[in-house]
Amino acid sequence: MDHHGGGIKSDIIHRSEKNPVIDFADIPFNCINLYNAGCVKKDGIYILLLTIEHLDGSTDLYLARSADGYNFTVAGDPFIIPRKDDPLYEYKTAGVLDARITRLEGAYYIVYLGESRHGTLLNLARTTDFTSVEKLGIISQPDTKAGALFPARINGRYARLDRPNTGGSIWISYSRDLLSWGESEVVLSPRDGYWDSNHIGCAAPPIETPQGWLVFYYGVKMTSGGTLTRIGTVILDRENPAAPLVGRSNIPVLSPRELYERVGDISNIVFSCGAVLEEDSSIKLYYGTSNSCLYVGTTTLEEIIETCMQSTKDF
Amino acid sequence: MSTPTGRDYLHRYEGNPIITLENIPFRCNTVFNCSPVKLGERYLLLLRVEGQQGYSFFALAQSPDGYHFTVEPKPVMLPAKQGPFAKYEVKGIEDPRITEYDGVYYILFTAVSRWGPRIEIAETRDFKDFERIAFISEPGNKDGVLFPEKIGGRFVRLDRPIGKGIGSIWISYSDDLIHWGGHRVLISPRQGMWDSYRVGASVPPIKTEKGWLEIYHGVKMTSTGPIYKIGSALLDLEDPARLVARCDEPLLAPRELYERIGDVHNVVFACGAIVEPDGEMKIYYGAADTCICVATAPFNEILERTLA
Repeated sequence: MDHHGGGIKSDIIHRSEKNPVIDFADIPFNCINLYNAGCVKKDGIYILLLTIEHLDGSTDLYLARSADGYNFTVAGDPFIIPRKDDPLYEYKTAGVLDARITRLEGAYYIVYLGESRHGTLLNLARTTDFTSVEKLGIISQPDTKAGALFPARINGRYARLDRPNTGGSIWISYSRDLLSWGESEVVLSPRDGYWDSNHIGCAAPPIETPQGWLVFYYGVKMTSGGTLTRIGTVILDRENPAAPLVGRSNIPVLSPRELYERVGDISNIVFSCGAVLEEDSSIKLYYGTSNSCLYVGTTTLEEIIETCMQSTKDF
Repeated sequence: MSTPTGRDYLHRYEGNPIITLENIPFRCNTVFNCSPVKLGERYLLLLRVEGQQGYSFFALAQSPDGYHFTVEPKPVMLPAKQGPFAKYEVKGIEDPRITEYDGVYYILFTAVSRWGPRIEIAETRDFKDFERIAFISEPGNKDGVLFPEKIGGRFVRLDRPIGKGIGSIWISYSDDLIHWGGHRVLISPRQGMWDSYRVGASVPPIKTEKGWLEIYHGVKMTSTGPIYKIGSALLDLEDPARLVARCDEPLLAPRELYERIGDVHNVVFACGAIVEPDGEMKIYYGAADTCICVATAPFNEILERTLA
C-alpha cells in the first residue's frame, strides 16, 4: 500500500460511502457546529455523545443512537449541560464539550471538558443506561484537555490519559477512587519534523489489544495558515503505558483531504473522540471535520497494528 | 535610600541583602528564593541557588539570629541524574517551601524539564538527607505550598496552574500526599491592580484565630516586563477554599536597588516566613532573582491589614 500517494484512498482509515453520518439536517434545532463525538457500542446499539455548539457560542453534549453505526437519530434534549444549580457551574460557564466514553467495571464513564474564564479542565461523569447521568466532579487542574479513562485498571489502579496544555504531550495519571489523581508521567510527546510536531492529544480512549493499549491520537502541525490536525496511532505497554512505546505510527492514519475536511470554521481538521472495535476486528472511527458534520471511517485492527509496528522506532 | 523603604507594611532589615553570591562557598550564578525554618534557636534557610550552568538546586544556610547566615560548603539537593525523578528535573529544581508535620519537614518545590514546570514533594528530618516522595501535579504548575495541618482529615495544598493564560491560586486535597483532587480556584488576578497579571502562593499558610493567612505574590505586567510584589489574603479556617479577606495593597514592593537590579529586575518573592514567640514576623525573600533579603512586621499588624 502506498501511504504517501496523496489521494483520498491512501489513508489507512477508509472514509465510508455513507458519510456524513450526522449532518445539520439530523439536528432537531438550529445550531452552529457539531463535532467531537465520544462513542460506545452498548447492547448492539451505537451511542454517540456529540458536542453541539449553539448559535450563541456555548456548547452542550447530546446523545445520538444508531442500530447500524451509520444512520443516527439525535436526541432533542441535551444529556450533559452546565446547570446553574451545579456547585461547579463556575467551571463550565462557557460550556461542556469533547466527551470521551469508556466502559469500565460495568458502567460508562464520560470524561468531558468544562470551559470557563478559569480555563479548560476535565470533568468526570458516570452512567449505566445513557438515560440518567451522575456527575462525579472535576478531576484535573487547568489547562487540561483530551482526557480519557482506560477501560480496565492497571496494577489495581484506575488510569487516565490527558493533555496538559504546557508541553503539548499526552500524560497518564492514576487513581484509587477516580476522584484524586497522581503519579503522573509523560507518555507521548510531539516529534520534531513530523506531522505531529506541535502538540498531540488522546483521540479515542485506549483499546485493549494483545500487543498493548491501542490509542488513536490527534497530532497537530503548525503552519503559516494555522493548525493542521490529523489522526495517528500508538500502542502503549499493557502494564506500564509510560514505558517505552510498543509502536507508534510514523504516518497519520487519517489526514484532512476532502473539501469537508478542509473548509469550515476550523480549516484542515479531522478530530476524533471515539472508536468502536467490532467483534470481527474491524474498527469504526467517528470523527468531526472542518465543516462541522460527523463522519465515520473504517479500518481493521490488523492494519492499524501493522502501521504502528512497521514504523521505525525513532521516537 | 531610606525614605521609600519605610513606606511598605513589611520593614526591610537595614543589613539587606543578607545572602549574596559572595556568601556562597562554591561557584554559582545567583542565590534567591528560599524557605526558612526555626529549629530551637537555630534558623535554617533552604536556598535556591542558580548554578553557572543555568539550572537551579538547593543549598542550606544556618544562623543563630535570623539575620547572619553561614552557607554550607556543598549543595544539599541537586537535580536527580538517574531514577524516576531525573527526566522531570533536567532543567533544575526551584523555589522550595517547607511545611513541618511532627518533626517531618515536607518540601514542595518546582521541577523543570522540557515538558514544563511541575510540583514535586520531598521530605527531610534533619536537613541532611532529603528523600523525594512524588510529583504531585502535571506540567504547567508551580508555587505549591502545603498547609501545616490536615483540614477535615485531609492534606491541603495551594498551587498555581495556568488556565487560559490566567495564573490563579488553586486549592487541592489529598489523603496520602500523592493523589490529589477536589481542585477549586481560590485567588485570581484583579484587573487594574498591582496583582493584575498573575498571582501565586508564596508562604505556606499560617494559622490564626481568624483564618489561614496566605502571603502570596502578585504580578503586574508592564512594557519592560513583570513587577513582582508580596500581598496577603485570609482563608476560612475550616473551609480554606473560602476566601475571607484580601489586602488591596501589597505588603512589600520592589523599591531598593537590590530589588530592582539583577537577573530579573523588580522582583520581591517570598517562599517562607517565621513568626517569633513575641509576634514579630520575619519574611525571607529573593530580590531581583539575585540575592536574599529579610523584612519584618508585627504579625498582628499584617493580619489586621489583611482584614481591613
